[in-house]
Amino acid sequence: MIDLIIKAGISAFLASIGFGILFNIRGKRLILAGLTGAIGGILYKYFLFLGMSELVSNFVGALGLALFGEIFARVCKTPVTTFIVCALIPLVPGGGMYYTMLEVIQGDVQEALSKGLQTLSIAGVLALGILVVSTATQVYLRIKRALETYRLDDNFNNL
Amino acid sequence: MHILNSMNVEKLLNVVVRAGKILIESGAEIYRVEETMIRLCKSYSEVQIADSFVTGTGIMLSITVDGKTSTRIGRVRSKSVDLNVIDMVNSLSRRVSYDPISVDELEKEIDRIEGKERYSFWITLLFAGVGAAGFAIFFDGNIVDSVAAFLIGIIIRCVTTFFEKYRVNSFFTNAIASAIAVCCSIGSAYLCYGIDYNVVIISSIMLLVPGLAITNAIRDTVAGDYLSGLSRGTEATLTALAIAIGAGFMLSILL
Repeated sequence: MIDLIIKAGISAFLASIGFGILFNIRGKRLILAGLTGAIGGILYKYFLFLGMSELVSNFVGALGLALFGEIFARVCKTPVTTFIVCALIPLVPGGGMYYTMLEVIQGDVQEALSKGLQTLSIAGVLALGILVVSTATQVYLRIKRALETYRLDDNFNNL
Repeated sequence: MHILNSMNVEKLLNVVVRAGKILIESGAEIYRVEETMIRLCKSYSEVQIADSFVTGTGIMLSITVDGKTSTRIGRVRSKSVDLNVIDMVNSLSRRVSYDPISVDELEKEIDRIEGKERYSFWITLLFAGVGAAGFAIFFDGNIVDSVAAFLIGIIIRCVTTFFEKYRVNSFFTNAIASAIAVCCSIGSAYLCYGIDYNVVIISSIMLLVPGLAITNAIRDTVAGDYLSGLSRGTEATLTALAIAIGAGFMLSILL
């Protein structure tokens, strides 16, 4: 299991770094983008290892990478996309797309449809994962801001 | 402190629209472009109203100073992803909103950002290969697969850079590149024993996957900008379709 995690982590890290260079990310942010990718990849592979379905594993992976992306973005004061874009790519169902095409060519319509539907739903689940985290962050930040102004008003009243 | 006069308003409009153009060209989310442009304008206290409307292909910005409204429209065309530039324009706008600088200085800053160079061609080539090799391991390939993916990744990057240089449309570029990826992968499986060409094909076409379009589509939709979300989503779908068509065409010939 440990070797599985190390393998997934290193390979997802390399893949994300590769994309980071293509998208011109610089310095410390490049390493953090790779790290975000590694977190997504590890979570995905680990949940597959636990026997979860492809959909659940992808969802957890997307949740994890989006969460760490938001955290790193706050720490570095950088747009969140810098981290999420590269990190998401290893999870994108390129394999599903390819096998769908393969089945279409071999003329197996049933199999092609089921593969295609699964690919689409994986893409949907990835989107959902990122959507959940970025909505939660927005709400969290708004509540935090509201509480801060509330406390400030309070103190002014006490003065 | 009076920084803006009637002469400067025109210049401010031009500079801010340029900043917006740079952002869209580098692949920023549409809501971020709108926010950044408004933030830049509002950092000058004389600007009473600032409103912008941005789509993936154009910018409209109008500001009101002294009860007089000026508007500028900008058309955006070429696209190459550059997250570093987005980061720099974004932090520039935040810095300026705390600590206003003159319009001339703002223009200089934008010039500086635009002049920033990217990684050299050879480095992107190398890391396209490294990325593809990483994907091969991630998709449970062995070392031989990842070496093949490394080489094919480099080839794919060469092809896409060449097509981008001559402004071939992205649908065609992706279709051709994925066809070449399939061709090279199956060729490598013939040449060298022990290569699983499925893994090599998948990991090399991952380089063409529209990751940025997917992310931006989601983030624009979350921000409530459904129009941009939809157009980015369409871009992502079309790119995926192009990859599938290219790969399918080559597979049906070779298999």
